Amino acid sequence: MRTWKGICAYIVRTWRGLETYQKAGVFILLLLITIGSLAPWIAPYDPLQTGTPFQSPSFTHPFGTDNLGQDNLSRLIYGIMNTIKIAFVAALVSLAIGVSVGVYSGYYRGWREDALMGVTDLFLLIPSLPLMILMASYLEPSEWNIVLVIGFLWWCPTARVVHARALQVRNQGYVRSALALGYGGPYIIWHHILPNCKQVIIAKFTMGVALAMLAEASLSFLGLGDPLSITWGSMVNLAYSCGGFANDLWWWYLPPCIMITLTAAAFFMVGGRKNEGRRWQI
Amino acid sequence: MLSGRSFILRKILRYCVIILIVITLNFLIPRVMPGDPLINVLGEDAALADPALIAKLELKYGLDSSLWDQYLDYIGALFQFDLGYSIDKSSQVSELISENMCNTLLLILPALAISSAVSLLTGSWCGLHRGKFLDRLMTPASIIIYCMPTFMLAMIALSTFAFHLQWFPLGHQSSSGLSGLKAFFDTLYHLALPITVLTIIGISGKHLVLRNSVMQIADEDFILVARSKGYNEETIVKRHVLRNVLPPFIAMVALNVGLLVEGAVIIEIIFSLNGMGTLLYDAVMYRDYPLIQGCFLVLTFTVLISNLVADILYGLADPRIRDSARCSEEIR
Repeated sequence: MRTWKGICAYIVRTWRGLETYQKAGVFILLLLITIGSLAPWIAPYDPLQTGTPFQSPSFTHPFGTDNLGQDNLSRLIYGIMNTIKIAFVAALVSLAIGVSVGVYSGYYRGWREDALMGVTDLFLLIPSLPLMILMASYLEPSEWNIVLVIGFLWWCPTARVVHARALQVRNQGYVRSALALGYGGPYIIWHHILPNCKQVIIAKFTMGVALAMLAEASLSFLGLGDPLSITWGSMVNLAYSCGGFANDLWWWYLPPCIMITLTAAAFFMVGGRKNEGRRWQI
Repeated sequence: MLSGRSFILRKILRYCVIILIVITLNFLIPRVMPGDPLINVLGEDAALADPALIAKLELKYGLDSSLWDQYLDYIGALFQFDLGYSIDKSSQVSELISENMCNTLLLILPALAISSAVSLLTGSWCGLHRGKFLDRLMTPASIIIYCMPTFMLAMIALSTFAFHLQWFPLGHQSSSGLSGLKAFFDTLYHLALPITVLTIIGISGKHLVLRNSVMQIADEDFILVARSKGYNEETIVKRHVLRNVLPPFIAMVALNVGLLVEGAVIIEIIFSLNGMGTLLYDAVMYRDYPLIQGCFLVLTFTVLISNLVADILYGLADPRIRDSARCSEEIR
């Protein structure tokens, strides 16, 4: 039974093991999540409260107002949690599918592996944005449908990597010993294969969140996002479709763009591995 | 030993299966998703219309037959390049796409060529000279650009270089009423900025991967042997490093086509160029389903075909790959 002390020690140990850039990524994310969860107290206005439209930046509205007179800074702050939540859940969905497919086919092999990995390879080749547009255009625009569309399409890279790792692990001596001792497949997968895939899974997950965030931004920009939820992508879409871009109101469309880049980069930084010296991997 | 021809045949067979899956997806998605196809096409008012009229339309579009019959009809129509009729644009989808596809290729192909050449240069230079100034600049820069949403890069480029500095036009494919050499330079002038943005996106996707593979190869033993034999650096790079980087590079370029297609869709919308991107944007805005499906099919086919070409080139560039299919079967 882990006590609070044990959990604290675990966190400290993990923190010490991180590289400097990973610490920077964690710091940015924690800061954003803190601001986002305190949004009702920090944001100067209600994001839905309307007023004078198309205002330029001023002390009362640092990023101006949009076409309905809603304060852009408040919408930006309220957008943090929505954007991260959608990307996070979408990455979780794709992780769940990818890890199950990867581990199952990597452990059981045979015709199941051929079939599952064959399908994964096929899906890897299909460009994701057109397929996402196709699926999203048939579904009702809502947060959960966006999550499902992104999540169902992005499990392939995870499945590939986890599969490769599972193949390595299943040939190790301790897995063979467990097999010889009569343990069944589910036990070995849960107690041996999955713990050994942990590193790969975490790295893929953080990258998945970053990619899901970019995908959500693209879909929202095309007008396929949920019109009722405030995300950074939908803010850019509003600015683009309501003349914010054509009239060069950069304080309207640029801040959400920069926030998307910053957050995606922070997730990349947390999960990026500089393996063997200076080799960055995307 | 697998002969070259059966290798290519096997690849083509594999891609035929993928294409069949894509077609099936395209057929199934509208039928599996909630909602009635006729209401999707005709709008919400269709539900209020005369049931006899609806039944007549169902008969006309074959919606009353079984799913399997509809599927066969659908594939048969595809073989005649019949992608349906766009009510919004009142034109055949296949005509609309063939008009716009050329413009998109005009954007993608130069960007693909330039970004491949540049990233081959910078990637191998940075991999061989790690820690130098260019390497310290390019590596973080490519990560940051990779993290940027495509529309951000395009919007910044358009507003800076076209709107404020007025170096480039604010959009559109070309000025009308020109011909010959003049028209060519005019199109070049109009497309320079979007192609540059797409090229930067392409480089950011390839630079890091190439740098990593060059670094990996530079650490191999045969490079050490070549160096101890007294070859000069140029020979080592040309004969040993680049020769070995070529196969993964070809694969990477092929995977990159998908990224470029996605980038081109967004860039066309922002630069208001005629192409698949603007077509798709309009189709999404007015929920023009036949057009969305046609665009999806054509864009996916473009990516698949480029991957097929790359797969075949890959086998030609590295004869070992041709056997690898057989080898991996033996290992199993």
